[in-house]
Amino acid sequence: MNETVLAMTLAAAVAAGTPLALAAIGELITERAGILNLGVEGMMLLGAVTTFLVALATGSPWLGMAAGALAGAGLSAAHAFLTISLRANQIVSGLALVIFGTGLSTFLGRPVEGMPLPRESRLPRMSIEILQDLPLLGRVLFQQDVVVYATWIIAALTAFYLFRTRPGLSLRAVGESPATADVMGLRVNAIRYVHTIVGGLLGGGAGAYLMLARVPAWSQAATTNGIGFIAIALVVFASWRPWRALLGALIFGLALRANFALQAAGVTFVPAEFLAMTPYLLTILVLIVLSFSDLRRRAGAPEALGVPYAREER
Amino acid sequence: MSALTGDEARPRTDPDRAGRRRRVLSLERRAAVPAWIYVAVPVIAVLLALAAGAVFLLLTGHSPFTVYRVMIQASFASTFGFADTLVSATPLILTGLAALVSFRVKLWNIGAEGQLYIGAVCASGVAILIGESLPGWANILMMLAAGAFGGMLFILIPAIARAWLRTNEIITTLLLNSVALLFINWLIFGSRSLWRDPAAGQFPQGLRIPDAAYFPRWGATRVHLGLLVALLAVVAIWFTLNRTRFGFRMKILGDSESAARYAGVPVRLMVVAVLLLSGALAGLAGAADVGGFSRRLDPHSLAIGMGYAGIIVAALSRLNPGSVILVAIMLGGVRNAGTALQSLPERVPMEIAVMLEGAILLFALGSEVLVRYRIHWPWSKGPALESSTPQAGAT
Repeated sequence: MNETVLAMTLAAAVAAGTPLALAAIGELITERAGILNLGVEGMMLLGAVTTFLVALATGSPWLGMAAGALAGAGLSAAHAFLTISLRANQIVSGLALVIFGTGLSTFLGRPVEGMPLPRESRLPRMSIEILQDLPLLGRVLFQQDVVVYATWIIAALTAFYLFRTRPGLSLRAVGESPATADVMGLRVNAIRYVHTIVGGLLGGGAGAYLMLARVPAWSQAATTNGIGFIAIALVVFASWRPWRALLGALIFGLALRANFALQAAGVTFVPAEFLAMTPYLLTILVLIVLSFSDLRRRAGAPEALGVPYAREER
Repeated sequence: MSALTGDEARPRTDPDRAGRRRRVLSLERRAAVPAWIYVAVPVIAVLLALAAGAVFLLLTGHSPFTVYRVMIQASFASTFGFADTLVSATPLILTGLAALVSFRVKLWNIGAEGQLYIGAVCASGVAILIGESLPGWANILMMLAAGAFGGMLFILIPAIARAWLRTNEIITTLLLNSVALLFINWLIFGSRSLWRDPAAGQFPQGLRIPDAAYFPRWGATRVHLGLLVALLAVVAIWFTLNRTRFGFRMKILGDSESAARYAGVPVRLMVVAVLLLSGALAGLAGAADVGGFSRRLDPHSLAIGMGYAGIIVAALSRLNPGSVILVAIMLGGVRNAGTALQSLPERVPMEIAVMLEGAILLFALGSEVLVRYRIHWPWSKGPALESSTPQAGAT
């Protein structure tokens, strides 16, 4: 594999990892509040189709992206209402979002199924002046579109927010022990609502990015293609830390792109389907390895993840 | 605002805060659940979901009355329509039971989808290998056994990892669904496997199973043996849960894992056994699709979310084996009606069925709270303010 192919593959992996990273960071924020939202796939799909419709109607990718993120937030708000206010089972509610989101986005996208977005309503590439001339790294990292850079900034901000600010500390307290947080005077439900919805914004945004930069046309079956589920696994893989989620997304992006690279290099003895399985199998393997006890303590799952909080039943 | 005097540090007794809190809805646990609630709540949930669907239909320029009338006509109003509804309900009963047994012990097998695919792979493989060498009934029995075995095989690793390492089974089973889908696609589209029809040209498809292995059908309808298998499974699961030591141990384990351990229940083996049982039921659904419906390994016929729908069925049935049948028939009707809608002159997309399914689940989940709690809305006046106003001890 010569250097051009390597650079192209790595650059493609960075771009392929970006929607994963966005969705995973969103899910990570939600889970840090103790809410498990398995509906990422549904939020991404609805975000993607909303983005497509709005970008097509207005011609502006940015309006499309904003609408897509809001659509994701809307679905996650439903999840928040069901699981926080009505104390419904988080797992079932999350899967209901997947089913509802899939149905709704297919329904909305029916008239435009298979239709490509015109060039001007897609995301432009934005190279960063001096850095793009770096050998290899320049090609890989700094000749991407603006959402790729924004994702790095979001990861940095999330890490700062979680570990260096007071609201971030409150968030972690709510995820670890809502009863204690409540006694401290934190508004547990409000904090959970806000972070579930922020997670939905990022999930919808991830779908929007897929639509605007990654896939050629709207297609219910091929737009998200299970990325939402990988994002959920990525959160565990990253042990609930933003930087690790970003790094993990790059590794997964590479696994997603390895297919094309190997085909380009003339490797055909591994069927494409098996290569496509690697991100899933890799995650399962990592999960199992992480489960060995001493590693688990360092892994840091929020203690109250998935547990509804009812003050009077404390 | 400086960090130290942040809003969250203010004491609870602040009158301003107390006033704000009053605007949030609050829940009060019911002391006793009146019997009518159990009937009224699911009915209200379905009606609300249909109302929400009607709003969407109106917004997208369809007439909800026409759509719902066609759906009811297609799925419930004629013998053949209802027969097709039963055909759609058959796998849902089995995947619903699969979710039910694992949810009962607070294990979350989200992988019925993948277990169903692998069950279908094993069942069709066995049928093709046996060919005409055995009488039909033996072939069918072997297929059912192979289907259950395939489902168990596919949940084995998540089950063992959950039992011994406490690896989160939600994520492992969920991810394996994607692996299973890729695997059946490879068998049919990506390779020259045993399952692929060698005579198929440009459009690869599965090899038909031998005629002897077709599940018998009920008269001229498409209702097949799978329905009987599903109903027997309901009885068997009801019996297991309520009349056996295994079921009793499941109940203890579901209530409290530590209590189960003190009571001498072999917790790890129970976890593995329950998950294997769950996988076997999902695998049976796959075998039923192969033997009774598509008669070949057909990824397009399998990958329509029957495993995920099973989770809805289990949740709507409130983990009650008997109710699984009713819920599965209702959802089967919704699914079955999807195809009828497409033949309408105005071409209502069949996805409205999937959307309705999701909406029914969302509303059912939301209204589930009514069973356990009384709701006090922010605009209503009532005693619930007591329970939500902060107690003096809270600060």
